Amino acid sequence: MGLILEVKNLTKKFGGLTAVNDVNFEVHRGEILGLIGPNGAGKTTLFQLISGFEKPNSGSVRFNGVDITGKRPYQIVNLGLARTFQLVRSFRFLSLLDNISVACLSPRGREAFGEVGIDAAASSILASVGLVDKARLPPVILPHGDLRKLEIGKALGTNPEFLLLDEPFSGLAHEESAGITRLIEQLHEEGVTVFMTGHVLRELMTLVPRVIAMHQGRLIAEGPPKEVASNKIVLEAYLGRGEGFA
Amino acid sequence: MMKLQFDWRSRLSRFRVWALSFRGGITLLCLVGLLLVPLTGREYLARIVITAMILTIFAASWDLLAGFAGQVSFGHAAFFGISGYVTAAFVKFVGAPWFLAIFIGTGWAVVFSLLIGIPCLRLKGPYLALGTLAFALILYNLFLTGTWLGGTEGISALPNIGSVFVEFYIMAAFMVASLIIMRAIVDSRLGTILKAIRDDEVGADAAGINTTVYKLVAFMVSGLFAGISGALFVLDITAVNPAVYQPLYSFYAIIMASIGGIATIYGSIVGSFLFTLLSEFLRPLAAASLLIFATLLILIIRFSEEGVMNPFLEHVRDLWDKIRGR
Amino acid sequence: MEEILIFGTIQGALLALLALGFSLVYGVGGLLNLAHGAFFLITAYIVYWTIHLLTSIPGLSYYPLVFGIAAVVGLSSVVTIGAVTYLGLMKPLQKSHIGVVLVTFAMAFFFEQFVKFVGDPKTHYIVPVVPGTVTLLGITFPAQLLALVFGSVILVTLVTLFISKSTIGKSIRAVSQDPEAAELVGINTDMVMMTSVMISALLVGFAAVLYAPGNYIAPRIGWGYLLLAFSVTIFGGMGSIPGSILGAYVMGYATTLTDYLISPSFSQIVPLIVILVMLLVRPQGLLGKKRLQ
Repeated sequence: MGLILEVKNLTKKFGGLTAVNDVNFEVHRGEILGLIGPNGAGKTTLFQLISGFEKPNSGSVRFNGVDITGKRPYQIVNLGLARTFQLVRSFRFLSLLDNISVACLSPRGREAFGEVGIDAAASSILASVGLVDKARLPPVILPHGDLRKLEIGKALGTNPEFLLLDEPFSGLAHEESAGITRLIEQLHEEGVTVFMTGHVLRELMTLVPRVIAMHQGRLIAEGPPKEVASNKIVLEAYLGRGEGFA
Repeated sequence: MMKLQFDWRSRLSRFRVWALSFRGGITLLCLVGLLLVPLTGREYLARIVITAMILTIFAASWDLLAGFAGQVSFGHAAFFGISGYVTAAFVKFVGAPWFLAIFIGTGWAVVFSLLIGIPCLRLKGPYLALGTLAFALILYNLFLTGTWLGGTEGISALPNIGSVFVEFYIMAAFMVASLIIMRAIVDSRLGTILKAIRDDEVGADAAGINTTVYKLVAFMVSGLFAGISGALFVLDITAVNPAVYQPLYSFYAIIMASIGGIATIYGSIVGSFLFTLLSEFLRPLAAASLLIFATLLILIIRFSEEGVMNPFLEHVRDLWDKIRGR
Repeated sequence: MEEILIFGTIQGALLALLALGFSLVYGVGGLLNLAHGAFFLITAYIVYWTIHLLTSIPGLSYYPLVFGIAAVVGLSSVVTIGAVTYLGLMKPLQKSHIGVVLVTFAMAFFFEQFVKFVGDPKTHYIVPVVPGTVTLLGITFPAQLLALVFGSVILVTLVTLFISKSTIGKSIRAVSQDPEAAELVGINTDMVMMTSVMISALLVGFAAVLYAPGNYIAPRIGWGYLLLAFSVTIFGGMGSIPGSILGAYVMGYATTLTDYLISPSFSQIVPLIVILVMLLVRPQGLLGKKRLQ
């Protein structure tokens, strides 16, 4: 198995605020890892650092043994580490199929699907996220739940080994969440490593065998979800902000 | 060999379907109409249409960069002007034949598109607009104050490339070829990537696209076609002076592309012909002509955000369907 | 050295009047107003025409009075034009930023042609309202320019105070920070944007009233002033009011310096190069917000 991602002493400061403070953890190949923490804990910043959209002040990120600290986002994607965004993004004036095709046209996508296989690959990804009947539509007219699926589909277009999912359930109704859960399980079975955040622990409980918890930029707990949920420090972190977590 | 033949046949049948479709039919009709212009024997009309055809390429090159890649340039005259100058210099001082001079001039425009594109890559929106504008203005001032290549006077008295009617067909060939190539580019996979960068640059980055390289490609392709139009423009009027760098020319491209419809490429044809013909036909009104023209411009931009081409074609199509009783 | 101090201050005062409004309108509504220079043009011409008209009336020969009336007519016209431009052209096209750019460009083109058509394409001269010259630190310059500096300082201070203290000013700042949130707390964003376009027109109108006398005016001058406003705004930081004031004076001294140190024929290019370097090194401008967009 072995390690796919190693984060060492990662620190990011914005002015006087330390958003990510000396964070260390590892992700094993093929696992699903959860990241929890109250709003403002630094989860999104951590994802920004791993995926290359922000540069850390210190520390390092290694992916598959390669140092990716400070690399540009598209370089990291082409090494096999793709991500989704908490606030869904889309190419507004392109059809859903073309939205996926763009990702398939990345160097890594081209290598995986071949120059002639790109259209077929995009269709099959669209089918796997359950949007194939809307292939010709532009994203602007889709409901939020479909945009979340498209977001994952775009990441899949780059043929990732490792997926960072930033709040994949946010703003979804229960049924839609279940659909995304099935999709993540399916990807996991196919061997993709998943690292995902959740604002509310319940969403992750069933899906994730191991979670890490963040608070004020630091890692405060690690272990199976049940243990972490009953951890005193974690409880205080959530209660201190008046937020429920269960 | 078999495969090639098959491909050719399917292309032919696709062409037939397109030619019989509404848009295809209109396009072919316009093309035939255009090619008939010299047969009227009216030199004056041919001259105006030549100008319109050259400006069409220029406007379309801006549309490719701004409408498809989302890089709104206010300094497109830089590519237009540098190519025009180099072309003129090679014809005048080296005695190069005009078709060779076009190549060299266009090559310089591509080089300049990199020189301007690379530093401007980090800029967005109004910053990119001003950055490109500043480059064009620097060139304008350098050529205005410098003594090289004719200084303020520029280069004049270039040889004609042929009679007006010969020139007409040469320009028409350049326009048709340029437009077909540009449209093919925006419809290709490269075009899909450019549109993705236009819609969401961060998203394109996250989809593994090296946005820097593709934006530069867009600058180069756009610079290439702007260069072709600049070279043709100078060969047509047989002279060049620093005025080709002035912001007005950049704005002409923007205005013509927007009148026709941004992100269409073909809209530039409508925009440039409307622009050129309108300003020519209003000329007898002397001072009032440009005022009327400016008013029309405001009205078109205000009331037709999509440009005039697509809404107009849709109306005509409705009418056509009614006539045919559908 | 004294020359650079004095002429740099004069240049800076002019640039501050030109750039402050331009920056304000961009900061509040994201509107890039390419008709900004045309506002200068039309004010200068309305002042010129009104003076021309009034002096033909017998008995009206006291020039400061004539000029005063002309200035009031010019300023009220340009503020009205600003409001009409916003309501009729900018507001309907606000969604697409390129739409605003195009329509204001067409406006600028329209005013240039309008001035040519109603008047003539020739160059005209407006007699300065403040006569004579002033000698300061051994440098002699037209007294009109001293009026420009005082006028500029007073106006810029007033506008800055207005924006930081008044209720409308607070709404302006709210909209510039987050238009959607401002709308949610009941601020009429259209009203706020119209006000800022009007303030902007007033400032550039004052620039015309104070600077055009003693200078030549011609239909094409609008573009030069637009470029100056645009450059200073980029230099100081788009949408930053202190940035555009600081940027105006820095640019003022810089261009005057290049006038004296290098040849004046190069002073056209040097500000452009400064802008370009600025864009490449620090695209957000001197005091701009850290992130673009």
